[in-house]
Amino acid sequence: MSRKFTTVAGASTALVLTAALAACATTPVASNSPAASSGADGSAPVTGGAAQVKVTLTGDGGDACTADHLTAPAGPVTFTVENVSSTAITEVELQSELKILGEKENLAPGLPAASFTVTLDGGTYTLYCLGAEPETQTFTVTGQAAASPTGSTATLLNEGAKEYQTWVVGQAEDMATAVTNLKTAVDSGDVDEAKAAYVQARPFYEKIESDVEGFVMEGFKVDDNAGNLDYLIDMRASNLDEKVGWSGFHAVERDLWKNGEITSDTKKYAADLSTNVGTLVEVVKTLEFKPEDLANGAAALLEEVQSGKITGEEEAYSHTDLNDFAANVEGARQAFAYLQPGLEKIDADLMNQVVTEFGNVDAALAELRDKSAPGGYLPWTSANRGKHSKTLSQAVLALQQPMQKIAEKVATAK
Amino acid sequence: MTQNRTPPPAASGPSRRRLLAGGAAAAAAGATVGAGVTAGLLTGATQPATTPTSASTSATDEVDLTRIVPFYDQTHQAGIRTPPQRHSVFMTFNLNAGTDAQDLQVLLARWSAAIAQLTQGKTIGTVEPSRPDAVGTDTGEAYGLAPASLTVTVGLGPGVFDDRYGLAAKRPALLADLPRIPGDVLQAGLTGGDLSLQACADDPQVAYHAVRNLARMVTTTAHTHWVVLGFGRASAGPGQETPRNLMGFKDGTRNVAGDDDYDRFVWLGEDAGWMAGGTYQVVRKITMTIETWDFDRISDQQRIFGRTKDEGAPLTGTAEFDTPDFAARGDGGYVIDQASHIALAAPENNAGVKILRRGYNFTDGLNDQGLLDAGLLFISYQNDPQHFIDLQNRLGRFDLLNEYIRHVGSGIFAIPPGPPTGSYIGQALFA
Repeated sequence: MSRKFTTVAGASTALVLTAALAACATTPVASNSPAASSGADGSAPVTGGAAQVKVTLTGDGGDACTADHLTAPAGPVTFTVENVSSTAITEVELQSELKILGEKENLAPGLPAASFTVTLDGGTYTLYCLGAEPETQTFTVTGQAAASPTGSTATLLNEGAKEYQTWVVGQAEDMATAVTNLKTAVDSGDVDEAKAAYVQARPFYEKIESDVEGFVMEGFKVDDNAGNLDYLIDMRASNLDEKVGWSGFHAVERDLWKNGEITSDTKKYAADLSTNVGTLVEVVKTLEFKPEDLANGAAALLEEVQSGKITGEEEAYSHTDLNDFAANVEGARQAFAYLQPGLEKIDADLMNQVVTEFGNVDAALAELRDKSAPGGYLPWTSANRGKHSKTLSQAVLALQQPMQKIAEKVATAK
Repeated sequence: MTQNRTPPPAASGPSRRRLLAGGAAAAAAGATVGAGVTAGLLTGATQPATTPTSASTSATDEVDLTRIVPFYDQTHQAGIRTPPQRHSVFMTFNLNAGTDAQDLQVLLARWSAAIAQLTQGKTIGTVEPSRPDAVGTDTGEAYGLAPASLTVTVGLGPGVFDDRYGLAAKRPALLADLPRIPGDVLQAGLTGGDLSLQACADDPQVAYHAVRNLARMVTTTAHTHWVVLGFGRASAGPGQETPRNLMGFKDGTRNVAGDDDYDRFVWLGEDAGWMAGGTYQVVRKITMTIETWDFDRISDQQRIFGRTKDEGAPLTGTAEFDTPDFAARGDGGYVIDQASHIALAAPENNAGVKILRRGYNFTDGLNDQGLLDAGLLFISYQNDPQHFIDLQNRLGRFDLLNEYIRHVGSGIFAIPPGPPTGSYIGQALFA
């Protein structure tokens, strides 16, 4: 856990720098700065250390994307995009073999020009204007750029994905410990102690839920829930498969909260849970993640929050849904944090927006803290849902919006 | 790397949209032979893109699904003087905490560009992105549907001009929360809002798609507040037959009409500064106690409205457009009850004031009692909200109709003028 926090703190420092860059980037850039050194052979002029390319979007008689220069010398190249009148084009990208190097979104007629800067080596690139006719134009870079000191975006992203895997294993191992504690408490017959252990174990699962979703153990068919590890650990009354019977976290939850007593069945549920989580730890060690898996996983956790936690469906007896909510969000945040160094290079604005929206979700959730309640949040009863679910739901929706775009960006990063 | 984001424009070839619209029209034309009723619903007209305000809509009140209402360069926003389409979705939004003027600026610019796309029957972006990890920009349910005269009218609530965005100096002079009006039983969840979208179209799926996608693209800046799905327009434009509200009576017989009326009662003049060419929108969600109304005897229903139910004639006349004679007396007093709906609302009894009514019927299914939950989504446009306030104060106090209606939702919004090409709704706010 502690090693992870170091990484996140590092990412946050980078973030501050990015925010400053983004602010500069959105400032309109004068097209014909006096300091411009004229480019040879129609090549983009270099100002302030970067070649300047002006891209204009127009909509009169077909949506067109026009660059004032389609060649530039190797090194930093700044693309300044102005949407004069195109309603169809909202996004401009620079690509290399279908990989996104840099881009600008949220373009609309009437808004000030916006810019992005990429460092390019000699070669052929594609200026991609979604919705324009034609959508792609060849952009040529001549000469050779100094090697980038920080490594390619793809390298950063792949390193992040690898580190994330280590984090996931750590969470699974911590879960195994917490579930063993739950089993011990259940075996002791102390309902209150067992409740406390339950609430402590839940977040570990909720943080990495999206990574193990639908995992089927070897030797079982895909439509047999008896071999579905995620199902065995986390099944709920609402998705109960009668053939398999009830087991896992929520069977324990029901006995502790609804029935208020520990029976021999409860002890069996806790023992099975401990066994299955042990298997899960081994499974998790074998997982390999691609950068887009982190992004899709984070998005899936937010989907869980929106459709399972805010509705109060997950913890139907203990009403500790907000405990799970916080863990889902934390899991999404961790996955995102490992992508941040790479994402920053592709789309710093998008990265910033996600960070801001995570902050807003945290703030909305903080309003519902209750130190005296199990899990540390207001019990998510029908009455409390009625009062607070709209605010939470809309904060999560605002986070889902930028988050949905990340997988595409990191999957195509170079 | 083709994105195939928009269907080809109608003019350039036989797109699916055009075929669908044409097919529907052909079906209607065929049906006309056997059943004259159908002719009122769909038409065989094939001419595209007609300016709505100049469209010579025939008295048979036809729908041409291929019609496009222009968005840019119209002085006024569409959806106000546009002949009322058959369906509407009205949604309000509140701006998210922590957003700033630049967020609002981007929202209005993105909305404007997207509305321009949508009104032409185009998507706002890719439905099926080529990259496997991408999420579609447009949700797709209107892909291939005709433009259906879609209009989306954008309104700015009083909250836009409070201290959050530094726009207090730009506050439209007459924009303020409506005062409490007698008879109001407003619910907080159906009242107010920082932004409004009024989407109207002759195809309900087109209107719904527009609002859904506009809401979806701005979740980081604004969140949904309340919504009403309207059907069966409850007002008429020029050439349209006066439609009926859910009480079965014609509604909007003496509406604002003609350039003089619009200039006098609806549009803001040059003295309104950046709002010149704009107007104010008042929205009221009015539920009706429909079952109770349906039990009421016809003579009482007609006394309450002041009109006959069938023809819609004032009780002092024989035809719908006869001018009511509020002074006429019969055996039992005034022929048109002084507390009837038309007597209280008539311009001659309100210092000549008119407001443009452009409402829709709505239903929300059943209420807690198992009764029909339905009524009127009242939308009015006026260049002075006080005109509405004065009228509704009279109606709220005395209207015989009050026994059968409840005002449960309310909102007021400034409607900026229409944007020129290359601009967006409300751009003057950020100048």
